[in-house]
Amino acid sequence: MANFTKALHLSKSYGKSLFSTLRNGHICNSRMISTTLYLRDFMAFFDDKKNWGATEVKSGRSWQKDDLRIKSNPDLHKLWYVLLKERNMLLTMEQECKEQMKLFPSPERLDKVEESMENLEEVVRERNRAYHELERGEIGEQPKETIIGPFGLPEEYKMTEHSIPKEINAEWYKQQQIKCDPRDVAEFGRKYREKEFIEKRRQHKRDFNHVIGLLNRFPKMDMEALKEQYPDVDIEKAKASRKYKPPPVFDD
Amino acid sequence: MSTRLYPLYQKGGPQLRVFLPNFWLKLVRPDNDRPSNIVQFMCSMEMTRYDIKNYLEKIYGIKCVHVRTRIALGKTRLEPGRGYVIKDDDIKYAYVILPKGETFEFPNLFPEEKEKELKEQEKTFEEIKKSHEKFLSKNSNRPGTPGWFSF
Amino acid sequence: MRLTQILLSRVGEWSKQYANLPDRYIKRAMEQVYWRNPKGIQYRPSTVIQRKKFRFTMNRPWSHQFYEQNAPGRLRKKVFVEPIKKWSFFRGDRVEVLVGKDKGKQGIVKYIVQERNWVIVEGLNCHLRRMKRGDESLDLYIQSEAPLLVTDQVALVDPSDLKATPIEWRYTESGESVRVSVRTGRIIPIPATAEETIDYKSKSTYKEQPKDTGANEVAEITFEPALKTFEMDIMESMGIKEDRIPKKTYWY
Repeated sequence: MANFTKALHLSKSYGKSLFSTLRNGHICNSRMISTTLYLRDFMAFFDDKKNWGATEVKSGRSWQKDDLRIKSNPDLHKLWYVLLKERNMLLTMEQECKEQMKLFPSPERLDKVEESMENLEEVVRERNRAYHELERGEIGEQPKETIIGPFGLPEEYKMTEHSIPKEINAEWYKQQQIKCDPRDVAEFGRKYREKEFIEKRRQHKRDFNHVIGLLNRFPKMDMEALKEQYPDVDIEKAKASRKYKPPPVFDD
Repeated sequence: MSTRLYPLYQKGGPQLRVFLPNFWLKLVRPDNDRPSNIVQFMCSMEMTRYDIKNYLEKIYGIKCVHVRTRIALGKTRLEPGRGYVIKDDDIKYAYVILPKGETFEFPNLFPEEKEKELKEQEKTFEEIKKSHEKFLSKNSNRPGTPGWFSF
Repeated sequence: MRLTQILLSRVGEWSKQYANLPDRYIKRAMEQVYWRNPKGIQYRPSTVIQRKKFRFTMNRPWSHQFYEQNAPGRLRKKVFVEPIKKWSFFRGDRVEVLVGKDKGKQGIVKYIVQERNWVIVEGLNCHLRRMKRGDESLDLYIQSEAPLLVTDQVALVDPSDLKATPIEWRYTESGESVRVSVRTGRIIPIPATAEETIDYKSKSTYKEQPKDTGANEVAEITFEPALKTFEMDIMESMGIKEDRIPKKTYWY
């Protein structure tokens, strides 16, 4: 397993990435730039010339959280920009393929890069959460709360940052005033719950009939596996149903 | 605070910095004839003109004189046979103007050589098809005999 | 309620093993979203209308053929699939065919469709397929293998006497889960080809692609714990000094 720890796009560009490009930016300040330099920079938006018109481009796996947890913060920061540029490149190529009515080779590369970016962000969050919990006793994220919304249903409310306290913020209060007639809300709630209940009952009935269908088709079925897949269905009750007509079993 | 929410800036407070930007930028073929120093991009909806300028300068080392943006409205259509209207996503376009003397031309990403190869593959398939037809037509005047019968 | 639906429309682990694609890509390639709820105040904010029931066939769910077989608006007849506790047929296994014209013959498993409990045995249980589309003059017959049900149409072969046997999953003394022949009690080892994917024969023989990070670079530990957030660490390493103290903000 240890031998197979390949990941996307970090080999030669691991050392350069953001910092080297920043330095490039300083060089660009001088007046003596040639067009080729610009062309080269824009070429970062395109894949290698070898892969132009290719039907398949092979790639390794995405960066997993465990790979990222052992990397220092500056390394993660560099890796983020490498991934960001790779994603822009892939999006550009995908868009051009779409415009030219061609197949985009190996579209899973995009998912690999995005998965890596998600994992990286999650690792950074983990580290920051540890710091905030240790130093301030809070998780240091956007606070969330479950409230009863205007439709009388529980919903998640994400708090936002303000410069003045709640008590003197008239504008915010105004925004929160979404008025619904309480009688309408009660009526809506009743119908909503009824709909939910009916859907649940239908699903149960569907499962029950499906289990009978399975019993009729496969008389030698593994009952434990059936119970595992349909925990809510009473199999004894299904066997007592008039729809249960198993075929005769001839033992050798 | 590790969150994607943009922090609140108050006068005299520390400068706001984004360390892990998640903006995307697509370089696209210009939709109509325009001067060769204008490059067209598609970008994430949250990006401002300053964001695009900084993004290109700091991450790609591309200097630009001016950036213009516009939002193209997504098309709305009625789904036939279904009772709802569908709207495509809006797209934000950015037009980046390069400094004097710099030009960019969108390259041809589908070289002719490779396409020729593909066409050759198709040709060989056609040949196989023709030879098979010939093989089948050998016995067409003697119905009932198997394909290997005649020499 | 929706658990069974999700279970039924999920791609099996061993079906996607050979293709070595990220789950995220498979989900993206397979899903058919017809309508999403727009942003704004909604009583069900993340409602999606999409295809829930797929008919799994010999074509892989991310392929174009699969999409055509499950095209939007096309309804397919329900298939009853016998629940199985644990999958025990892998690529490269020697199995005996128990039904059909090749009854009693032994062959190697080369393709798995776990969603339908199917395996394809190389060169056995064949049928002729007519390759004629429309009024094309090319009329070809191609021999191809038909799928076999793992529940009662094939059986694993005991390596000690090369005869078909029912199997059981048991644990060895070292805590490893192995397949054991019920008849002789011998372990049936899982073949090395079960690990094989389109990108590599075995993990150790993987050929690095140009954009891959080297295995040693990935395994290198550069993380050093410090009482800093990610942002503080990056600012320090980039030499950014910030003395201004943020003003008090209120979250609500």
